[in-house]
This record gives sequence, C-alpha cells and structure tokens, in this order.
Amino acid sequence: MEQHTVRRSAFRWPGLVAFIVIVALIAAFSWLLLDTILKWSLERSLGTLNGAEVNIGSVEHEWVPLTVKITDIQVTDPAQPEYNRVAVGEATGVVNWEQLILGRLHFEDVVSTGIRVHTQRDSAGEVYQVPDKSQLEGYFGAGMEQLQLAMPSLDEVMERVDLRTPAAIASARESFTTQKQRVEDVLSKLPSKEALAEYEQQIKALGEGDVSTPQQLAERREQFERLKEQFRADQEALEEFKQVVGTAVDDLKVQMENVKTAPQQDLDRVGELMQLNSQGLSEITSVLFGEQAQRWADYMLLAYNQLAPMLQRSADETVVKPPRGEGIWFSFTDADAPPDFLIKQARTEFAIGPTVLDVNWENITHQHEQLGQPTTFRARGENNELWNVLQLNGELALTASGIDARQQWLVQGVNLAQTALSERSELAATLVSALLDSEGNVALRDSQFDGTAILRLADMAIEANAENQWAQVIAEALETLQRLDINADIKGALFEPDFSLRSDLDRQLGRALKNAALDAAEGELGELRQRLSSQSDGFVNEYQDELGELTSLLGDAENRQVRLQKLLEAQLQDQLEDKVKDRLKGILGSN
Amino acid sequence: MLTLLARLLRALNSESGAWALAIAFVLGMIMGFTPLWRVHNLLILLIALLFRVNLSGFMLSFVICSGIAYLLDPVFHSVGFAILSAESWQPVWQSMYESAFWRVVQFHHTITLGSLVLSIAFAPVLALVSFWIVSQYRKRIQAWFNRLRIVQAMKANRFWAIYTELRGS
Repeated sequence: MEQHTVRRSAFRWPGLVAFIVIVALIAAFSWLLLDTILKWSLERSLGTLNGAEVNIGSVEHEWVPLTVKITDIQVTDPAQPEYNRVAVGEATGVVNWEQLILGRLHFEDVVSTGIRVHTQRDSAGEVYQVPDKSQLEGYFGAGMEQLQLAMPSLDEVMERVDLRTPAAIASARESFTTQKQRVEDVLSKLPSKEALAEYEQQIKALGEGDVSTPQQLAERREQFERLKEQFRADQEALEEFKQVVGTAVDDLKVQMENVKTAPQQDLDRVGELMQLNSQGLSEITSVLFGEQAQRWADYMLLAYNQLAPMLQRSADETVVKPPRGEGIWFSFTDADAPPDFLIKQARTEFAIGPTVLDVNWENITHQHEQLGQPTTFRARGENNELWNVLQLNGELALTASGIDARQQWLVQGVNLAQTALSERSELAATLVSALLDSEGNVALRDSQFDGTAILRLADMAIEANAENQWAQVIAEALETLQRLDINADIKGALFEPDFSLRSDLDRQLGRALKNAALDAAEGELGELRQRLSSQSDGFVNEYQDELGELTSLLGDAENRQVRLQKLLEAQLQDQLEDKVKDRLKGILGSN
Repeated sequence: MLTLLARLLRALNSESGAWALAIAFVLGMIMGFTPLWRVHNLLILLIALLFRVNLSGFMLSFVICSGIAYLLDPVFHSVGFAILSAESWQPVWQSMYESAFWRVVQFHHTITLGSLVLSIAFAPVLALVSFWIVSQYRKRIQAWFNRLRIVQAMKANRFWAIYTELRGS
C-alpha cells in the first residue's frame, strides 16, 4: 500500500492577508486619530520641557502642504499652577517634509496669535518639577511689612539722647571757677591806684626842688633809675594780668555762647530722634512699584522668561528626566548638521490689553551652534491705544556655557490707567493715570543677567489711602507726586533675576514723614524747649555780671598800664641837667 | 487568557513541531520586550503570521514578556544608554543617524536599542530551552502530568471545558 505524505508549506498565506489587514487597520487608526495622537504627544513633550502641565485645545493637520494648526495652548506656570506662564490662542506652522523624513522637525513659517502671559487657569495645572523656593519668591522681596513705621515717645528719646545743655552749663561753671581763681592770683601782683599815685608824686618830687651840684644830680638820677626798675616790674605784672584776664574773658565768652546755643542743638537732636523709625523707607520704590515693574519686566524679558527655560531644559538631559519606561532619544548630529528642531520664521501676536504687539522671530532652535546663528526677535509698535513708540530688539543663543543673549528696548508714551500699585490694607495705591517712557538694555552671559533700565513716569495721578497715621503721610505725599524717574538694575541668574529699583521717592517721602513726625511731637518738644531754655537763661543771667566784671578789670588794667607807661617815659635827667647848668652859669657869671 | 493557555496546552499536546513552538516563544519575547510601536515589530508580526509559527505560543509569550518588560525597562535603558554612549561606536551611530531608514527604526532610543539587543542575545537561549522543554514534555511529562490528581481535578472545571471544546473543534 502506497503512502502519500503531504508536506505542509512553510508559508501560511492567510497569515499574510491577516498581516496586511492589521497594518491597514493600524494605518487607518493612526490616520483617523493623528490629531489626537499629536495633541497627546505635544502635551507630554511640552509639559516635560515646561516642568508643568500643558493643555492643548485641539490639533488639526493638512497633508499638502504639511501644516499643523494648534489652538488654545495653555502652559502652566510651575511657580503658580493656578496661572498660565503663557497662553496661545492659535499657532499654525508649515512642516518641511524632507527634514521630517530625516527625523528633523523644521517649520518654515509659524504664526501664533492671541498670546497672553500670566492668565488665570480654570483649574490648577499639574506641576511635574517644582521650582526652587528662591524662584517662587517675588523679584522684589517683601512688601509693606518692611515699612515698620513707628515713632518713639519723648521719654524713649530722652533715654537715648545725651543732652548738651546741662553739660554745657556744668562746663561753663567750672571754667568760670577756674578762670576766676587764675585772675585772683595775678590780681594781687598788680600795682594799686595808690601806688601809681605815689609813683607820680615821687617822679614829680624828683623833678622839682633845688639841684645845685653834680653830686645831687647823680643821687636823683640814681633814685629815678630805681623807680623805673619798679615801674618795669609793675608793667610786667600788668601785662601778665591782661593776658590772664583776656584769656579768661575769651574762654568764658565761648562757654557762655555754648550755653546759649545748647538748648537749640538739643532740640534739633531730639527732633531727629523723634522721627519715624523708617528702616524700610529706602525700599519704598520697590515696595510700591515692584509688583507692577515685575509685570512690565515679564513683557520686556518675555523671550528669556518663556523661551530660554524651555531651550535650556531641552538641551539638558539631566534636567529633562524621562518618565519611567520612556528612555532617552540620543542625537548624533554633526557640528555642522542642521538642527533637530528649527522654526525658521515665526510671527507672534501678543495680546496686551486691547492692543496687539507683533513680534517677529527668526531661527528658533535649541541648537544654535549647529545652526551658526542666534534666535533673533524684533518687536515694533507705534501709535496705538497703549503707547506711542515701542521698539524691542534682541537675540538669544544656547551655547555650551549657557544662554547668551542681549536685548534693548525703547518705549515711549505708554498710557497707564487704573494700575494698582499696592492693594494692601496698610497702604493702597493706584496709579490713576500716567505716561511711561522706558529705555534699557539687558545682556545674558553664561545665564547671568546684567542690565539697566530707566522708567520715567510723567503726568502722574495717584490715589492712595492708608489705615496707619504714618502710612497716611506716605499716601498724601504720593498723591502730590507728578513725575518720578526710577532706575532699575537687573542682575543675577536667569531663573532668579535680582531687580533693584531706585528713585528720589525715598527722599521725598522721608522729608514728608520727618515734617509730619515733628508736627506730631510739637507739644512734647515745646515742653523740652522751655525746660532747656530756663536752665540756660538762668546760668547766663547768673554769670553775665561776673563776665562783665572781668571785662572791666581788663579795662582798668589797661588804664594803669597807660599811666605806668607815661611815668616810664618821663625825661627827668634833662630837666635836672638844665637846672645844674643854669646854676653853674650863674656862679661863673658872677665871678 | 484561559483560552490562550488552553490553546497552548493543545499545541503542546498536538503534533505541532517543537521548533515551531520554540520560535513562537522567541518572536513573542522580542515583541514583548521591545516597545510595541516600532517598525521591527511589524517585521516580527509578519514572520509570525506568514510562517507556520504557533500563534498561541507567540501571543502568550508576547503577553508574558510585555509584563516582564515593565520590570526590565531600567535595565534596557541602561544597556541602550551604554551602547549608544560607547565612544568606539560613535561613527556608526552618526552614519546611521543620517539615514532616514535607521531613524524610522528608532535605534537611537535607549530602551528600544537596549531591549532589542538583549532580547536578540537571549533568543538562542530561549529557543533551545523552549525546544528542550517541549520535547521533554511530550516524551515524559505529558503522561505523568495527566495522571496527577490536581490535573484530574482541573479537568472538572471550566478550563478543561474550554480545552476540550477547542480540541473537538
């Protein structure tokens, strides 16, 4: 019996049909759900780059040309999940097919409209990577709590102040005692009035009477010389007295003047200490204008704030940690190969209030070294409802050492209306209207900011009110402001910019607060003024007579000195010699 | 799953070639270990459907290995990372990266490359072990297995009903 063995074919042809059907189903499934797949993919990849949830309303595509249209993009702010970092109404881009086949995503032209920053979300977005605490803090630190306005009581001030009036009185009193003793010491050495009168008598006696012989003449001359010696000694005593009294009078006059001026000096010092303890006043520009300036800075630094973090995260594999089981996509591009991701041109329309600002971009990528060109952006806006001129130019490149960028801007005639500066209960202030001009530049080197800007506010009208007496003074001073120049410095790291604002507002408010504080303390200061004046006046009245006496002693001493000088200058010898000569002529003539 | 197990048991007890079952296990393992949406899995699916590979073994292996893959992903990632980072291989990767074909294959993904390399390396081992087990099962275990009280108890439940239903079909 012949046996037939049927060898089964190695192929299972119905299996090929099944394979074709499965592939066709997958293709159809992908085709039909491509938009949804793109939406999910974009939400995930953008969310990973952003560090927080990204929501996309819808994605639509067209095959020829390959166009993707994305609507209602909401990018959660990781620092404030209730708000979007940025929201985009619609973005449309044309994808380059050839590059896409080679695995590169190159958009020829992208148009984004309805872009707004810091918009409220319907619900808080999920945060994948919580920013550092330092990034969560405001650029300008604490607010009104820095302004610890308080005025010390007079007693507290008196404890701290070392009053000069009593010290000046004590010092003057001691000087009077000392100087008086010195004057008394030299006073005893002076020739008395009686002694001077006797000297005059003796001089007169020597010049009168009969002198007939040379011997008599010699005797008188000898007596006269002895008297002159005495005169010289007395004159020296007078000179010393004059010097001592003169010094004493000068010193005591100074002491007296000190006593007279001490009360006012004390009052001035107490007045200074009675001012507000306004340690935070130097920060008031930041406190009042900080929040608003931060919002303006958000717009001015939009490219850095929105694009730079994503670029940096996209280039840093250690930052973009893949979710578990997703792995990492390696890139093996040459140094001169086209970048993996590139938007050649983009036009973005930022909605700012009722106005739209067009910003034109070129070469958006995270591989600038491969492209050899930086990402550039340029914004122009003129004569619209919000400003007269707005010019903003900048460029941005991701290098091996970090983000390297620069930007400059000029804004003129920005209409600010009903802009809340501070909404705290301690001090509420609203900029009712103002015109803002601003210009500045900022550079980013190795991810470090360095820039300056000036904000000029003119035609200001501020409404302010406060619950605290001293804050009310600030509020009133603010309401009188009409123009203000604020200088801003931008330093620090990309994700932790350090803004500092300076203006002469600190000085203006400080002056207003000082005057208000002195007015408030006027009653207590009046009492102090009276007390110090009475002490000073009492001393002055008591010692004024003594100072007068010393002054008169000085005059008296000068009179005596004059009399002595006359005696010293007496010409006794000539008179006596004439008498001797006459007598000798008579004797010789009679012979 | 019960149906799948029953089909496998039927295949083990049938006249299907032991190599057909072993290769089914290997193909299912590669497809299960590597990420599903990859071009190479289409090739594996084509081989499994076009050639007389036991589809029940293929499916069962795929399901089990997909579960194990979840646990092994970190290992796959590490292996793929090490291979793609290897300095001596950089020129190869760079030239492959410039090719549209290889970009579509997605070789430059750590888990894809790591899991593919490891599963291909393990494939001969799994094939030989599977072949030996199937052979041994048919030679020695099948009869002994059927005599086990527990197997006889199982024959009374739903699993046995499905199995016999399939066998009768």
